[in-house]
Amino acid sequence: MNSKLLSFIQILRSRDVRISPAETLDAMDIAAVLGFSNRTFLHDGLAMALAKTPEEKATFSQCFDQFFTQKLLEFSSDGELSAGAEGQAAESAGFLPQGAPSRPDNAEALLQTAAGENAQLQTLLDSALMQNLMQNNRNELSLALNQAGERVGLAQIQMFTQKGQYTRKMLDELGEEQIRQAVIELERDNSPALPQLQRYRDILREQVRDYVEREYLLHAEGKNKQFMDEILSKTRLNNLEHHYLHKVHDLVRKMAKKLAAKHSRKRRVNKRGQLNMSKTIRAGIANDGIMFKTYWKQVRKDKPQILAICDVSGSVAAYAKFLLLFLYSLQDVLPKVRSFAFSSHLGEVSDYFVDYPVEKAIELINWKYGGATDYGNSLLDFAKLALDDINSNTTVIILGDARNNNGDPKLEIMQSIYQRARQVIWLNPESRRAWGTGDSDMLRYQSACHFTAECNNLTQLERIVDQLLKSTSTA
Amino acid sequence: MKIKDFPQLDSIEKIEQGFESFGYICSTQIATAVFLAFQLRKPILVEGPPGVGKTELAKTTSQLLDLPLIRLQCYEGLDEAKALYEWKYGKQLLYTQVLKEKLGDLLQGAQGLAESVERLHQFGDIFYSPDFLEPRPLLKAMQQDRGAVLLIDEVDKSDYEFESLLLELLSDYQISIPEIGTVKAKTAPMVFLTSNNTRDLSDALKRRCLHLYIPFPTIELEERIIRSRVPDIDDVLRHQLVQFVHSLRQLDLKKNPAISETIDWARSLLLLHADKLDEELIRTTLNVLLKFEDDINATQPELHGLISEATAR
Repeated sequence: MNSKLLSFIQILRSRDVRISPAETLDAMDIAAVLGFSNRTFLHDGLAMALAKTPEEKATFSQCFDQFFTQKLLEFSSDGELSAGAEGQAAESAGFLPQGAPSRPDNAEALLQTAAGENAQLQTLLDSALMQNLMQNNRNELSLALNQAGERVGLAQIQMFTQKGQYTRKMLDELGEEQIRQAVIELERDNSPALPQLQRYRDILREQVRDYVEREYLLHAEGKNKQFMDEILSKTRLNNLEHHYLHKVHDLVRKMAKKLAAKHSRKRRVNKRGQLNMSKTIRAGIANDGIMFKTYWKQVRKDKPQILAICDVSGSVAAYAKFLLLFLYSLQDVLPKVRSFAFSSHLGEVSDYFVDYPVEKAIELINWKYGGATDYGNSLLDFAKLALDDINSNTTVIILGDARNNNGDPKLEIMQSIYQRARQVIWLNPESRRAWGTGDSDMLRYQSACHFTAECNNLTQLERIVDQLLKSTSTA
Repeated sequence: MKIKDFPQLDSIEKIEQGFESFGYICSTQIATAVFLAFQLRKPILVEGPPGVGKTELAKTTSQLLDLPLIRLQCYEGLDEAKALYEWKYGKQLLYTQVLKEKLGDLLQGAQGLAESVERLHQFGDIFYSPDFLEPRPLLKAMQQDRGAVLLIDEVDKSDYEFESLLLELLSDYQISIPEIGTVKAKTAPMVFLTSNNTRDLSDALKRRCLHLYIPFPTIELEERIIRSRVPDIDDVLRHQLVQFVHSLRQLDLKKNPAISETIDWARSLLLLHADKLDEELIRTTLNVLLKFEDDINATQPELHGLISEATAR
């Protein structure tokens, strides 16, 4: 019973629900207290221990329904069938001649007579599997299916191409081979019982196929998603197909959440600080040296400020989008982000993020500022807007390919930013080898940066933001 | 806290009935949470939109169990001195002054500094003893003989460090005070934490709690709540107003009307002797339900449709 619960938890984990061993123990306690007889109680109870955000609750409910529909009947000792399992079994049982009770007797009689002539068929008919099939014993059948599934390791299924293979394995495990043999023999003998036996065989195959399908959906979907995420995070961002974009958004949000969780735990300076002895004594003088009132050394902590300057011209727009998405998904840890977008001229776009959801804001910015790049001009605009606000707490991030169309790079502005800011980071989506080739001014700009990095897929982006958070929070 | 001490918490049904007798109508889910929290001795973390009765749940539980409710309201900057305990610095300083003279008597006959210090050492750390300890809510909850209901309200408003402070309490029902040692709870209190989701709580905290999400209630449940809170209101009007509030929640509003606002509205309608909803009535009383000018303005054009929808059934 607990092993079923564990495999359920495994499935939840594969779908991004984070469950710790401690929570697993809780879930077991809960199941022990509530019992498996009442589905709603069990659902609510387990949800409390296992799913701890609204999204996780939704995933949980979905998986719970899928999983316990077929398996609950194993749990309840009184053999009570859950509604779902009944429906499913009844559906496939449609093949069985339920409506005409005389026919199964008839069919059985036919088979029995055939068995009288054939010893092998007789043993087959006596086998548990065949008995269950003939009596349409759903509980026993589904139990046998589950056990066979466990033996062949169906939970390991990953690809839809494996479905056929697993179905075959399951059938072998259940002992379908005997039926097949018997069918061949009956065919040879041209026995009247042949269609009956064939039908039972088909029912069994049908059941197994359904079962494998269900298990595939349950187990493989989560794994496939993980696989997909891994691939996506390593693909160059501007090579991403359009229809994957929303998936990448989810992924970015997930990564950002991870980073936020990691960095927000940093021990902050205690707000009250230590006892300020001299001040306390001084205040005590008036009271004859009795220090009634205590004073504390207050520590003022400056919050780091981040200025993100993004090139949104055609060649780099895709990257800018994800950088901004990342930065604004980190509001919790980076409360003071100001963003600027440019191609031929530059403007502050922070307000867009206040007024609109992040995705919408990025769309508007691309539309407003897109065009041919002019770094010199844009840096001039930036200096006018924000140079005075740059201080030793400011981190400036510039995202661009530094391809200036052979214009004036205005390096002196970069240098003055460099001198004022805490750090200047330049992210370039081009690979390092291409820096400085053609109209790229990257090597020149590089001299006015604390840190430059190649940044063209999500993994790199995540690493850079991670570093950024590390360096800002130790301020 | 032993199970037999509190027959009120025997089963999920009993909890539901018990809550109802105190005017708190709850879904089975909530009752299940309280049942489990009690059986497993785990804290409950209650999340949900504002005004769905998160705090009320803790209050009602304390009424049901007849235990004191100890409440800790969280805010930014809350620290252990305000949540756990504090030394009574003033008292300590005052006592040192008062006892100055006694010091002379004590040290009489002692030769040299070393012996004086030696003698003083014999008295132990009297100034850091429970007598000089000012218990704050969390410590207070540990000290109750029969147990208590501890409500840590809006834990998301506190700082991250404060969450870590709670961990020892939540998992072992004990508090470590460096000068004294570990204080174990006399009787494990029943702990409720509430959160409005203004920020994500740490995994460590969530892991130690049962997580209960209270959504806005269903129409049936809300009608039952109104019936119990505003018993004098007419059946038809009650149905209409709940229906109306529900369709309001479907709109895209800054702040959805909560249960407490529905109750307030029902009370105001009762005071105005209304017996059915009409547009004029709603226009004049809408500010009870909606607390933002923008929301009220956004609702105006929809009003007619909403009302006919609410009064149709």
